[in-house]
Amino acid sequence: MAVMMPAADQAVLGRRGAIVAALRAIVPGEGVIDTPAEMIPYESDGLMAYRQPPMVVVLPDTTEQVSKVLKYCFEQGIKVVPRGSGTSLSGGALPLADGVLLGLGKFKRIREIDFDNRVVVTEPGVTNLAISQAVAHAGFYYAPDPSSQIACSIGGNVAENSGGVHCLKYGMTTNNVLGCEIVLITGEILRIGGKSAETSGYDVMGIITGSEGLLGVITEITVRILQKPETARALMVGFAQVEAAGQCVAEIIGAGIIPGGMEMMDKPAIHAAEAFVHAGYPLDVEALLIIELDGPGVEVDELIRRVEAIAQSCGSTSCRISNSEAERNLFWAGRKAAFPAVGRISPDYLCMDGTIPRGALPKALARIRDLSAKYDLRVANVFHAGDGNLHPLILYDANQPGEMERAEAFGADILRCCVELGGVLTGEHGVGIEKRDLMPEMFSEIDLNQQQRLKCAFDAQGLLNPGKVFPTLHRCAELGRVHVHGGKLAFPELPRF
Amino acid sequence: MDTSKVRNAADVEQVVRAAIASDQPLEIIGHGSKRLIGQPMATNALLDLSELNAVTAYEPNELIITVQAGAPLADVQSLIDSKNQQFAFEPVDTSALLGTPGTGTIGGMIGAGLAGPRRIKAGGARDHLLGAHAVSGFGDSFKTGGRVVKNVTGYDLCKLLAGSWGTLAVMTEVTLKVMPKPESERTLVLRSLDDVTANRAMTAALGSPFDVSGAAHLPSSAFRPASEALAGLGSPGQAVTLLRLEGIAASAAHRAVSLGKSLAPFGGVEILHDGASAAIWSSIRDVQPFAAGGALGAWPVWRIVCPPASGGALGQALARDSGGDVIYDWGGGLIWAALPPKSDAHAALVRQRVDAAGGHATLIRASEQVRRQVDVFHPQAGGLAGLSERVRLSFDPKNILNRGRLIRAVAT
Repeated sequence: MAVMMPAADQAVLGRRGAIVAALRAIVPGEGVIDTPAEMIPYESDGLMAYRQPPMVVVLPDTTEQVSKVLKYCFEQGIKVVPRGSGTSLSGGALPLADGVLLGLGKFKRIREIDFDNRVVVTEPGVTNLAISQAVAHAGFYYAPDPSSQIACSIGGNVAENSGGVHCLKYGMTTNNVLGCEIVLITGEILRIGGKSAETSGYDVMGIITGSEGLLGVITEITVRILQKPETARALMVGFAQVEAAGQCVAEIIGAGIIPGGMEMMDKPAIHAAEAFVHAGYPLDVEALLIIELDGPGVEVDELIRRVEAIAQSCGSTSCRISNSEAERNLFWAGRKAAFPAVGRISPDYLCMDGTIPRGALPKALARIRDLSAKYDLRVANVFHAGDGNLHPLILYDANQPGEMERAEAFGADILRCCVELGGVLTGEHGVGIEKRDLMPEMFSEIDLNQQQRLKCAFDAQGLLNPGKVFPTLHRCAELGRVHVHGGKLAFPELPRF
Repeated sequence: MDTSKVRNAADVEQVVRAAIASDQPLEIIGHGSKRLIGQPMATNALLDLSELNAVTAYEPNELIITVQAGAPLADVQSLIDSKNQQFAFEPVDTSALLGTPGTGTIGGMIGAGLAGPRRIKAGGARDHLLGAHAVSGFGDSFKTGGRVVKNVTGYDLCKLLAGSWGTLAVMTEVTLKVMPKPESERTLVLRSLDDVTANRAMTAALGSPFDVSGAAHLPSSAFRPASEALAGLGSPGQAVTLLRLEGIAASAAHRAVSLGKSLAPFGGVEILHDGASAAIWSSIRDVQPFAAGGALGAWPVWRIVCPPASGGALGQALARDSGGDVIYDWGGGLIWAALPPKSDAHAALVRQRVDAAGGHATLIRASEQVRRQVDVFHPQAGGLAGLSERVRLSFDPKNILNRGRLIRAVAT
């Protein structure tokens, strides 16, 4: 394994039998799994290149059990890795050899649907899509739509601050959750926020969202639901140059239009997707934009006209406009199947997830082309063009010696390039173990220390999901020290009154 | 009182480090427009950011602006307005409510995190702060977030900075999301509904597919003076319920008709256009009916956030039992309550009712004497209060920044 995880605590492993027995006393029946064969499904998440059997798996089904498990682990100094559906693409739920894997899969109930307050109160193991399905009869839906939405859990969405193709207009998870019940590593159960638009005091919900399972274990979530737009239509626009497609994206935004979704694919991605789903994508273009406008019919029709005119002025070579739901879904089918489509043309692929300023797109794609030649690996690009979130898919064959390492080095270079162009290491997949060691590309030691101090406020012993997000672990006491620099300063250069 | 005017982040570091060394807590100010909000502080020196006020970069096509924290909000708003853009969360201008001059700075806007009517659709200040550079109570500059909308790299410390009232770190530069201004707007006016019925009408409107971007209710009031923009709506003695639709002209007009039809059970609607509509919403955003210079200027004002569908009943009971006056925004989810003067500003009554409704209340305007007697910010349950304090200490272990502003116990 290329990524170093914290050394296993042999003393803890030596007590494994007693630990399993203690967990069985808290979660009876089949809720504790400790045989190697039964633990295999938990060895890995969506970042499948990395595998590690946990010490033991525990699957509680009440908040009280979660609290007792965490309290026991806290008192015994045992590490805990929380897990939802295990679809993380960054290794956020990768187990530890000396850690308890705490699965929330049994928290499968939607607790309350409140249409008057436009919220759903749900357990964390419910899938993202199931929330939308549960409110669809009244015309509502839950807006964030990661492409794994049929499988990924809402608890995992909160942990990762998941996005999706509609975040440009409707926001990420953090913009769509209002409250939660969270259990700290001490076993303490807290309620944060609720059905109100804002919480009181510091925005603790905001900091929990996207914290990758390092701050607490969520046992209930309150999400906002929205009324479905009256209608949605999509344009599928081809360009002979990537630059022209990038210009088109900038001009649409510059014209004050915020599409429901705006996706770009490059030639290799277009060809792979078309061969897989036959969506009618043009094969003679360098870049394809799928632009979806949603809202009232009159608005969508008018915006379609405006976007079409902008596309033409940017030199589009083809433009199709959906005239039915079936046609709109067909436009999307290729984009939504881009990952499996690429999976058909390569034994393995690595999906990257950097974000760049929209305007830097042509530069980023040129750099990726150069890197592709340097590493001698093919790459297909899909891109949430509206918000600058780039998903290069690096094609490789894990059976060829050295190819996986080369693919990882290629990926790391792409992310460095994103940061250099004014962007960030991850737009929606999370840091996990995958980008952990790249964090210093974006943050100084002081920046990272401040983040780790916050971690200490929740988990002073560092027992929750250690080894993720932060490249170096510090003791909380060491991080908390205030260094006094130079005593009382006169700072003569500052005006004093 | 010592004042340090800083011109860059290094100055801020120096002032904070000196403050740590001499245990001299600092009050962080921009223009001081919101100094009257919060517990009276235990600070004896000022850190003044008003000269740290440059626009670092404005990129309309990227929908972002990067500005230093002391930049005047009014100037930044006119800059982005020149490109037909805006802060979609409609930052509240508290000058009329508090009787202070000026609309303050960008840093104050984020630190207070007070969002206007469009919050129901566009989110709050916390949803528009993409990145920040700040100096912690350790005296160290740190950055968080970035300059792009979609970013999950590391903890989202921006969420904590927004609405932290300057108690965690001194922001020096922030990157904010800007959004296109709508081309057109319409406001539907329903008349003479009681608060609970109005709440139902707003709930129906917000549950419709017509993309309502403002839902407010002004009850019939024996107290409220006719504020200029609201005077056109009729006498304060007649309740009005207001629903805003924004977008391209054809769409706003179309939705206004459709929404009006769907609200027929609540009575006929009148439709106001563009300028007239905009003036009303800025009056509501800035709580003009309770302006310091108005008839209720001497009354304490509470800002209550609650589950929207319970707002009508909560506000009605509060007004009745205190003899006060309320207005509703956010479809009932935000209640501004001006209550008759009392030594505790009716805190016991307000907090009891608001707790029962699952909301929280901030005493946004009251004399210093009253603010010394009352928890200005809503007290939190024990476990959450403990966590919040640990979070604060993780940024400011020596309690140097705006000491005592959030929690009364710390001040005394």
